[in-house]
Amino acid sequence: MRTRDLLGMSLGNYGRARLRSGLTTAGVAIGTALVVLLIALATGAEDNVRRSIFSIGDLRLVTVQPFQPGANGLSAVPRTITDDTVAKLKSVAHVDGVYRQFDAPLGMVVEGGDDATIRPQGIEPGAPVDRGDLLAGRHIEAGDRAVAVIPGNIARLVAPNAGAAVGRSVTMRVGGAVKLGSTRIGGSGTPRDYAVKIVGVFDEQASQTSFRIPLDDALLAGAENRGLTPDAIRETTGYSGLAVEADDSTNVADIVKAVQELGFSSFSLKQVVEQIDQGFGVFKGILAGIGGVALLVAAIGIANTMVMSVLERTREIGIMKAVGASPRDIRALFLVEAAYVGVFGGILGLALGLAGGQLIDRIIRQLNPRTNPAAIFVVGPDLALGALALALGVALLAGFLPARRAMRMSALSALRYE
Amino acid sequence: MIAPLAVEALDLERTYASGRTTVAALAGVTLGIRRGEFVAVMGPSGSGKSTLLNVVAGLERPTGGTVRVDGEDLAKLDEVALARHRSKRVGMVFQAFNLLPRFSVVDNVALPLAFSGVPAAERVRRARAILDRLGMSARADHRSNELSGGELQRAAVARALIGDPAILLADEPTGNLDSVNGAALIALFEELHAQGQTVLLVTHDALIASHAQRTISMRDGRVVDG
Repeated sequence: MRTRDLLGMSLGNYGRARLRSGLTTAGVAIGTALVVLLIALATGAEDNVRRSIFSIGDLRLVTVQPFQPGANGLSAVPRTITDDTVAKLKSVAHVDGVYRQFDAPLGMVVEGGDDATIRPQGIEPGAPVDRGDLLAGRHIEAGDRAVAVIPGNIARLVAPNAGAAVGRSVTMRVGGAVKLGSTRIGGSGTPRDYAVKIVGVFDEQASQTSFRIPLDDALLAGAENRGLTPDAIRETTGYSGLAVEADDSTNVADIVKAVQELGFSSFSLKQVVEQIDQGFGVFKGILAGIGGVALLVAAIGIANTMVMSVLERTREIGIMKAVGASPRDIRALFLVEAAYVGVFGGILGLALGLAGGQLIDRIIRQLNPRTNPAAIFVVGPDLALGALALALGVALLAGFLPARRAMRMSALSALRYE
Repeated sequence: MIAPLAVEALDLERTYASGRTTVAALAGVTLGIRRGEFVAVMGPSGSGKSTLLNVVAGLERPTGGTVRVDGEDLAKLDEVALARHRSKRVGMVFQAFNLLPRFSVVDNVALPLAFSGVPAAERVRRARAILDRLGMSARADHRSNELSGGELQRAAVARALIGDPAILLADEPTGNLDSVNGAALIALFEELHAQGQTVLLVTHDALIASHAQRTISMRDGRVVDG
């Protein structure tokens, strides 16, 4: 039998018992819509979480912390990050760059007044933290001394706007008493003033106190605060942390392992994302299961419809067999009829799921205008195609036994059936 | 010159299990029908004449003996090949017409060709040609449930002929027709026979059988005269 004839004839059969086919199709549509809605909800939530993680930083980054691995909270055992550590990490495979960081004691910008509390962060040129977030000016460059790239909120305390702050010289006081929010914190060591020139202003979204200065300036400030030399600081206190950049995010796990083997605790967004992905995988599975129950009910409906259809058309099956339909033709006719229920139900269900998601989204936003602007329901092409395939698969499975029954019917007894 | 055999049965048996006993519908039938013959099989009900026809049609399998139709041993055919046998080698006309009521006449007639993979346009063309030949063109686009008994059976004959079968089989084709339509149908069979069509007809009506070239009488699953 030709495919075209098969499709046409089965469509005719599907359309004959219009009410029954329609109701069965509606069952599949509701099941599919539920699966689509639930998975779209989970996908939306996952996208949202991932997006906020990506906004925090780069997935290629591994941060080395001055603690032993497995450190958490109070149990953290300090470890010193030295230039020796840096050299070892630089030789690890897939490491693109290692950037040292030294945090000087808290301080303030004198010209900015009491609210201009800063955390001077000594960084190397090109450090991941100092990339692509400028409002004005430039980033820290090689050979820089006595310069700073400052957050927008501090810039506005010393100048009318970010642009006007660039080029201005300010006094950075390190180690004195500072105000953090509404609490005052006593200073540490000897407060000391440094004149720095503002060369850049960055968007303060991520941090309102990070005051980026050249690494050597920070080491000097930290050393003078405690009456030491920068070299002594390098060897005894060590760096505050390292930013290790992988050549690709897929190699992050290897680098994390190398860091831990060196005896340091590490942190990478990539691993957080992987854990989140795993968590959402389970979450999605559960939701899909709930939707799947609805589809199962629909499948029973299909099976019932098909059994009725076979019974009703027993005589017709007999006639078709008598004039030359092979058993396979008969089975195909009924399977394709079931497939129509699946395809139409799937398409309808997908449309229903999409429309339902939009509707719920709109209602939620109306009830709470401050809802996160990101989409609540996300239906990607893989979910759309997957839902259609699922509906079709369920329909074929449900149609299989009735179709086999039709196939195995004896032509002669089918002809005699009243 | 003797024409080759269209049907050749050798010691053909068909038994049914009925409780503890078995009933033999065919108890060793041996016969031959030549190409171009018009043969009527007669006998009372239960004589096995319909079973013989169903076996030749490939609707039933014999339990013993051999049957060849147009040279093909039906026992050697699997289900798929048997379906092909029904669509190509034989054409069957039933007492109960057995047309699909929701299809038009032309679609009913064309149906067997659908199962042998003939494209739709070609099927319809051939169905119309046959309907034309049987004087049924005017009814071609009607639904089969709008037809009279005589017209229905003509459409059924058209359907049986569309595969250009080696043998036309008819099981009590006039059983549901009045005498006028019955006579017209037999006239059609005679006409088809005159054009060279092999016809095997089962009837219990001696008047119908008298139109055939040859009559085979059956009783209790055996050929008693023929």
